[in-house]
Amino acid sequence: MDISSVFKKETVNGTGKLMARQRRFAYTSLVPILLYMGLFTLFPIVFAMVMSFFSYTPIREGSGFLGLGGANPFVSIDNYIELLTGTGKPAEVFRLAVRNTFLFTALVLPLNLVITLPLAVLLESIGERFKTLFRAIYFLPTISSSVAIVIIWSYIYAPGWGLLSLMFKAVGLVPPKSWLQDPSTVYFGVPLAMIAVVVAHVWQDFGYNLVIFVAALQSIPKTLREAARVDGANVWQEFWLVVVPLLRRTVLLTSVLTVISSLQVFVIFQLLTRGGPKNQTQTMLLSIYENAFRFANNLGLSAAMSMILFIIILTLTVTQFRILRTEWEY
Amino acid sequence: MVTPPVKRPSAGFILGKSGVYAVLILGLVATLLPFFYIMVSSLKTDAELRKTPPDFFPQQPTFKHYTDILTDERIPLERNVLNSVFVSLARVVITLFTSSYAGYIFAKYHFKGKNLAFGVILIQIMIPFQVVMIPNYLLVVRLGLIDSLWALIIPSMVDAYGIFMMKQFIESMPTELMDAARMDGASEFGIYSRIILPQMGPPLASLGIFTFMATWNDYLWPLIVLTSPEKRTIPLLLVWFQTQHTSNQGLILAASILTLLPIFFVYIFLQRWIVDQATQSAFK
Repeated sequence: MDISSVFKKETVNGTGKLMARQRRFAYTSLVPILLYMGLFTLFPIVFAMVMSFFSYTPIREGSGFLGLGGANPFVSIDNYIELLTGTGKPAEVFRLAVRNTFLFTALVLPLNLVITLPLAVLLESIGERFKTLFRAIYFLPTISSSVAIVIIWSYIYAPGWGLLSLMFKAVGLVPPKSWLQDPSTVYFGVPLAMIAVVVAHVWQDFGYNLVIFVAALQSIPKTLREAARVDGANVWQEFWLVVVPLLRRTVLLTSVLTVISSLQVFVIFQLLTRGGPKNQTQTMLLSIYENAFRFANNLGLSAAMSMILFIIILTLTVTQFRILRTEWEY
Repeated sequence: MVTPPVKRPSAGFILGKSGVYAVLILGLVATLLPFFYIMVSSLKTDAELRKTPPDFFPQQPTFKHYTDILTDERIPLERNVLNSVFVSLARVVITLFTSSYAGYIFAKYHFKGKNLAFGVILIQIMIPFQVVMIPNYLLVVRLGLIDSLWALIIPSMVDAYGIFMMKQFIESMPTELMDAARMDGASEFGIYSRIILPQMGPPLASLGIFTFMATWNDYLWPLIVLTSPEKRTIPLLLVWFQTQHTSNQGLILAASILTLLPIFFVYIFLQRWIVDQATQSAFK
C-alpha cells in the first residue's frame, strides 16, 4: 500500500491532522540536515568558486566578507589566465601536473581492464567456494591503508636491494639504478617513476573493478548462454557475442569510475615519489595541496586549480549518470 | 540437482581447469607477495635488514621492532590509536544515525520540496573532496577546530551516499506496520526508532563497516587539519615514522603491519559484506 493512499483516505475521513503532523515532522527533521549541507557542502563549493577570482592569502586581513577584498583583492579571471598561460612557477608546474594526471589515468585504465576483465571471467568459471576465497584476497589491497601501501611499495622499489630489483636479478635482468628517482629513464615517452606509480596504484585498486565484473558476469542469465550453445556457438563465440555485449554497460561505467578516481589519487604521489623526479609525477591534486597548504601564497590560485579539476570530474560524473540511466535489458 | 552438460560453459573450456587455476593463483601471489615480504622483513634483525643482498626470510626472526614501537615512551602510540578509534567510531555512529534518519524521511514521507531537498543532498556525491578541501579548511579555522579531532568529525556528519542507500532500503519496507503503530499512538520519531531502525541491521552494518574503514585509512584531511603529535591518527603516525626513522627500516615495517592488522582483522570476519557493499556502491 502506498502512503499517499493512506493520506487520501484520511483526508476523505476528515483527519488531515495526521497528515499535517507527518509533514511537520518531515520538515523539522530535514531542516537541520539541509542547513548542515548548506554549511559544509554548498557554502564551500560556492566559496571555492568565488575565491578562485581573488588573490587570497588567509593570513592577510581582507576587508570584505570572509576576508575577501582589501588586502585580498578581486582579480577577475587572472588566476585562470595565469594557470593556462602564465610563467609563474606554480602555473608551469600545474600545467605539467595536468599532463601527468591525464597520462597517469590513460595508463591506469587500460592496465586495470586488461587485468580485471580476464581475471573476472576466469574467477566466474570456478567453484563457489574458491571463487569467494580468491575474490576476498584480490580485494585485500583495496581495503588497506594507502599510507601502508606506499611504505610497502617504497620497500619493493628500493634501489639495489628492493624486492623488484632482486626479482630482476634473479631472472638475469639488470634492474634500473633507481625506480623512483632517475628522471632520465623514460620508456615510450613515459618516465619510469610514473610507470612505477601506475603499477603500485593498479595493484592497490584492481580488486575493486574485479568484484564489480564478477558480479556483472554472475547477473548474466544462464539461459542466454545456453541458448547460444544450443544454437551451435562455441565457447569463444559465446564469450564475444553474448558475454561481452552484455558486459558493455558495466565496463563503460566502471571505466568512467576508474577515470574519476584516477584523477584524484593523492597519497601515493605525495608519499612515494613526492611529485618527483623533476616534477615527472606531479599531479593536479598534489599541486592543489602544495599550493594551498605548503606554500600558501595564493589560495585563490589553488581554488582555481581545484575548479579546473572539478569541471573535468563533473563532466565525467554527468557521463556516468547518463550511462546509469540507460536501460539495459537482458 | 542434475546439471545438463551444456550448462555453464566456461573459460575453463579454453584454458583447461588447471590453466584457470594457474592464472588465478599467479594473481593471488602477486597480490599477497608484497604484504608477505613486508611481514617477514619486519621480523628481521637490524643487521639482517642492512644486509645486501637481503635474504627473503629472516634468519633469526624477532619481534623486537614491534616491542620497540609498543614500548617507546617518545611515541604517543596509545593516544594515536585511541584518536583513530574515537574518530572512526564517532563517524560511524553519527553517519548511521543521520543516514537512516534522513533516509527514513525521504522514503516514507510526502511533502512539498522533497525532490529539491534530496537533490541538494545528492550534490555532495558529485563534488570531489579537493574542491571543498580549501574552503572547509578555512571554515574549520574559523570554527576554532584546527588541531582538534572534532575537525575530522564535524565536517563529515552527513553522508549523501549513506542517505541514498538507506532510502532505497527503507522504501522496500512495508508501510502497514508504520500505520498500525500510528493508530496505537506512536510518535513519528518513535516509528523510526522502534519500527524502522530495528529492521535495518544489514544495511547499517554495511554502511558502518564502510565508514569505519574509510575513516581509519583517511589521510589527506587529517594531514591538513591536525598538527600536534598527540592529535595524530594512525596514518599520520605512520607517515611520521617513515620520515623520522629513515635509518630504522624495521620500525617502519612493523608500524605498517600494525596499521594494516586491525582492518585485516575486521575484513576476515566481514569480507562478504565488504565486497558486496563495494560492488553495490558502483551502481549507486
